Amino acid sequence: MSIHFEKVNYIYQADTPFRHQALKNLTVSIPTGSYTAIIGHTGSGKSTLLQHLNGLLKPSSGSVTVADKTITAVTKNKELGELRKHVGIVFQFPEAQLFEETVLKDIAFAPKNFGKTPAEAEQIAREMALLVGLPEEVLQNSPFELSGGQMRRVAIAGILAMKPDVLVLDEPTAGLDPKGRHEIMQMFAQLHSQKQLTIVLVTHQMDDVANYADHAIVLEKGEVIASTSPQEVFKDPQWLLKHHLALPKATRFAYELQQTGKVVFEKMPLTEKELAASLVDLLGKGGN
Amino acid sequence: MQEPIIEISDLSFAYPQQQKKALSHINLKVAAGEWLAVIGHNGSGKSTLAKLIDGLLTPQSGTIRVAGTELTPTTLWDIRKNIGMVFQNPDNQFVGANVEEDVAFGLENQGVPRNEMLKRVKKALVSVGMLNFAQHEPARLSGGQKQRVALAGVIALQPRIIIMDEATSMLDPEGRRDIIQLLKSLNKEKGFTVISITHDIEEASLAQRVVVIDDGTLVQNDKPAKVFQRGTALIESGLDIPFSEKLKNELKSYRIAVPQEYLTEKGMVDWLCQFISKK
Repeated sequence: MSIHFEKVNYIYQADTPFRHQALKNLTVSIPTGSYTAIIGHTGSGKSTLLQHLNGLLKPSSGSVTVADKTITAVTKNKELGELRKHVGIVFQFPEAQLFEETVLKDIAFAPKNFGKTPAEAEQIAREMALLVGLPEEVLQNSPFELSGGQMRRVAIAGILAMKPDVLVLDEPTAGLDPKGRHEIMQMFAQLHSQKQLTIVLVTHQMDDVANYADHAIVLEKGEVIASTSPQEVFKDPQWLLKHHLALPKATRFAYELQQTGKVVFEKMPLTEKELAASLVDLLGKGGN
Repeated sequence: MQEPIIEISDLSFAYPQQQKKALSHINLKVAAGEWLAVIGHNGSGKSTLAKLIDGLLTPQSGTIRVAGTELTPTTLWDIRKNIGMVFQNPDNQFVGANVEEDVAFGLENQGVPRNEMLKRVKKALVSVGMLNFAQHEPARLSGGQKQRVALAGVIALQPRIIIMDEATSMLDPEGRRDIIQLLKSLNKEKGFTVISITHDIEEASLAQRVVVIDDGTLVQNDKPAKVFQRGTALIESGLDIPFSEKLKNELKSYRIAVPQEYLTEKGMVDWLCQFISKK
């Protein structure tokens, strides 16, 4: 079943001069098994929305339904434990949360905490290490001796070890070089297709939205202004400009090319591959 | 080259208990008012270089001169007044209880008179678009907002050199454009020297010169267009392939003859238009 937000309001520091309403009467669904991108300008409410997905924040009013569990302002914290097994959140710079002596122990922490025996937890940790592409020889090392990209893999494995059905990613590639970024994004794509994980990706990288997501939710000032396919979101550059959003590089390039009047794209390309294919098509037809 | 503001000679450094050098035999000059990009994959030694220039780490051998003075434990504090550093994860550099105090911190340390300080803090917050957040707690800001505040803290100090260590990585595309625009004007109009350590090809393309660091050695030092010609090898140097090169590669796979030399996106549009007209 899908994740559903129904008329959610969220107010930070209510009853103080700093009162700030981050989510406004927000109603939106994240389909099960989808790869949903959440995009929006800084301060649009992305992080606030994300923290509602596993009950780190509870709505000030309205309700959030995840995995048959409905969370409202009055839901007790102790009722949220079950939910947190379903939804794993990878925060920005997740390697900051590493703490154990060895990589294996760090990954095994959550399953142990959720009641697995040490042997079971280690077994799970080994599987997860494999899943995120950590080589066997680093498992007994301190996580702090690893490179940035590998530390991030350890942190992600630690979250996957809870066996969530929904994986929430907040700017998961920030600070990685493009190669590391590509590898990590490929890994998520694989988890999505092989393990049928629902993925919720918060990002500013429109190319990642174009390359990986099948659904996109656009937020502005705490409200949903679009919930549709990436194709639809990127089809109107004027609309994007108005809402302070960027285009994927290939789409932007296609518009520039179209501006010259020499080419008209029937369908806007979102990736380099699509762009090259449409260009070849156009050239094949003998141009204009 | 003009009088260099930074002059690095035969610099080597290894972290404690590490056999392998993080940087070895680096020679580099940066001209006053220059915009230099430093690229390299994660772990190549870029950030180590920045920390050495700011005296946060001490070299094993070699020298660093900043604005004509050699960096030593005694000159360190004076040299740092010339340098503003913005890190990737600003959480590591916040000290103030609110945004305004945080930006003021460096100025207080330098004993700037209160009236002057208030003016500079306000101006710096306006320039990064964060004045409305002056009373907010830094910890409660978004990643991009934190990076803006960290930059404001540096701008307020009016250093001669700004070192940006992946400091725009958390900004949304528009925020990134604004901040880069701001840096450009500081560089052009006020003559700030900018060293930008980056994985972002667009940011690197703004530099007058790009230095490539690989496994602790300086492997290339050239104009962006020259460096970008490396094509797929750029991935190993911690950059993405420029968009125009990616598109060229895709077109090549359809056996379309594409130009060899590096083209900017504009250049690529022009080339495609010509190509289409000829058909």
